Amino acid sequence: MKNILTSLAVAGTMALGSVTAVQAEGQGLLDTIIERDSLLCTGHNGSYLGFAEVDGQGEWQGFDIEFCKALATAILGSPDKLQIIPVSWAQRFPSIQSGDIDVIIKVTGWTMTRDTELGLQYSRPYFIGPFYVMSKTELEAEGIADLEGGVFCVNAGTTVERVLTDYMETNGIDYEPLAFEKGEELRAAFYAGRCDAIAGFGPFLSATRVNADNPDDFEILGDVLALEPEGIVVKQGEDDLLDVINWMVSALIMAEENGVTQANVDEMKANPPTASIGRLLGSTPGVGARLGLNDDWAYNVIKTVGNYGEIYDRTVGEGSRYKLPRGLNNLWNNGGLLYPLVLD
Amino acid sequence: MAIDAHAPPPIATGPAAWLRKHFFATWYDTIFSLVFAILIYLALKAFIGWAFVDAIWRVENKDLCTHDAGACWAVIESRGRLILFGLYPYEEQWRSTLACLAVIVTIALSCLPSFWSIRRLPILWVAGFTTFVLLMRGGFAGLELVTSEQWGGLSLTIFIFSGVFVIGMPLAVLFALARRSSLPVIAKSFGFFIDIVRSLPLLTLLFAAAVVVPLLVPDWLQGNKLMRVVIAFAIFFAAYQAEIIRAGLQSTSQGQEEAAVALGMPYWSLVIDILLPQAFRNTLPSTINQAVITFKETSIVTIIGFFEVMASGNAAIGTGEWGNQYVEVYVFLALIYFVFVFGLSRYGAWLETRMRLGHA
Repeated sequence: MKNILTSLAVAGTMALGSVTAVQAEGQGLLDTIIERDSLLCTGHNGSYLGFAEVDGQGEWQGFDIEFCKALATAILGSPDKLQIIPVSWAQRFPSIQSGDIDVIIKVTGWTMTRDTELGLQYSRPYFIGPFYVMSKTELEAEGIADLEGGVFCVNAGTTVERVLTDYMETNGIDYEPLAFEKGEELRAAFYAGRCDAIAGFGPFLSATRVNADNPDDFEILGDVLALEPEGIVVKQGEDDLLDVINWMVSALIMAEENGVTQANVDEMKANPPTASIGRLLGSTPGVGARLGLNDDWAYNVIKTVGNYGEIYDRTVGEGSRYKLPRGLNNLWNNGGLLYPLVLD
Repeated sequence: MAIDAHAPPPIATGPAAWLRKHFFATWYDTIFSLVFAILIYLALKAFIGWAFVDAIWRVENKDLCTHDAGACWAVIESRGRLILFGLYPYEEQWRSTLACLAVIVTIALSCLPSFWSIRRLPILWVAGFTTFVLLMRGGFAGLELVTSEQWGGLSLTIFIFSGVFVIGMPLAVLFALARRSSLPVIAKSFGFFIDIVRSLPLLTLLFAAAVVVPLLVPDWLQGNKLMRVVIAFAIFFAAYQAEIIRAGLQSTSQGQEEAAVALGMPYWSLVIDILLPQAFRNTLPSTINQAVITFKETSIVTIIGFFEVMASGNAAIGTGEWGNQYVEVYVFLALIYFVFVFGLSRYGAWLETRMRLGHA
């Protein structure tokens, strides 16, 4: 079924390639969003733990949703000018082509097919999707090497299985693989203690951990098996919008690097400690006009959602139930892969 | 040769005799009865213990919810409104309740035989749907505008079901009559159309309606996503229901049709007064069957991002806080489906009895 949907999606998307090119000559999507005074961003049909979920009041929460809010705030000045459109995984690419949504912020990996053949354009990665290993706390493993000889459970025939095999071979670690057909079986076996560790995509592992009777019995190890860079997606040719997205992600990272937080942003704006912070927060004019926005857009974003680290902690990191390690999603000077662009 | 007159067998009455007759008549009856009595007792005991005795009812006691404890109904207290209303804005949910009631009342009224006329039913349904859409959508008289992307929960499920049924049923009649048409072009092409629609998975049809149509059709023709989905669903329903109705039409004797034509009755009178009433009566069980299937199938719209009651239920457990309480949420959902489907089945049974009486 998934194949049928995907081919439908691809067929529809390709059929529209030509139409898209024609539209791009007219008004850009950024202008359309400003004119509409509302940003259409992706939600989920159900929930994706930590990234897009619904609270008891029917409000969307999560890491991806925070980025939607940040983008709405950057462009339109307020997180309320955001409409979350629930879309399924299969629906996201056709929906962006048909204009049902403006951007895809939905843990969407940057692959060559999507970037080229589907007529999409990716922002710089806003999240480095890691494949981790989770083990029992009682084993007191510091890293994967400490689990030598243990039973590792994975989903059969998935990317994870291949990634784990590669990693173990490369690092010369002996282990006993145990493959399961279904995610539920895998989880049940892990909870029941049949595995010393399981390997999987970070968000899946943190969801598995949080659904255990006692989440503290399990911990995600810091070693990264492999990664998948997740970008924010726009339609091919929406350069103005993509510029805003890239600089918004950069501003969130730069704020963290320079210690600008939701709490101290007002003070920082009034007395910028360095010239670049002054430029970022709009104390020195220039940051806005070049993107077609107000000079205080980055200030508004940080005031609304905080810096990158604050978003991460609140939604999926240590401050949340999911306790996903910061790992590669840390700043470059903290062992991660995140770095700001140069704001001149 | 005279036949000896036997005394009539003694008729035992009272509960003991009733039990003996129904459960303990022979030695193997006794064994089966005892085994099943024990099984039922154990199952009921386990269920009642889980669902009521050991259950945790309030959110304040959430910490007590573990795998060993009973049902954690606290999840319904905390997430119930999400399940029932989906993404509908919290403060405006009274509108969703009223809209839902309006459609339920409309359904209930149209189940009453006194509303069954070509004039009354359409008026009733137009009024019911208009009330629903006005309340849900708002955007006038101080009511906040809520676009159909935010509609959700039970009212969306019921709206989709009744929309599909109300649009699909007339279509089905049309398809069935067209397929029996004496003009080969019409009969063949409608037969072909029905077969094509039936050979496609519903999921694909809905996905195409929601996602592919806007890519191929100009803006002014697109309408709203929910509308496209309901129409596609209705066509799917109609293709199946048309075959059920055709079976009913074929079960009326050819003689009645010929007699009506000989009497000079116009075609529409023949269809409305003679053929359709009999066709519907004869196919009532299959029609109710189809309605029940359709009600359950509404949950498929979740694949194109609609938060009907099943998707809302999934969203309710889709958070770290309540991820373990999926059994409770699914039991709650099952109860909602049960109320509607069981009601539908009982109504069908009542209708059958009533029609048999009228027929006799």
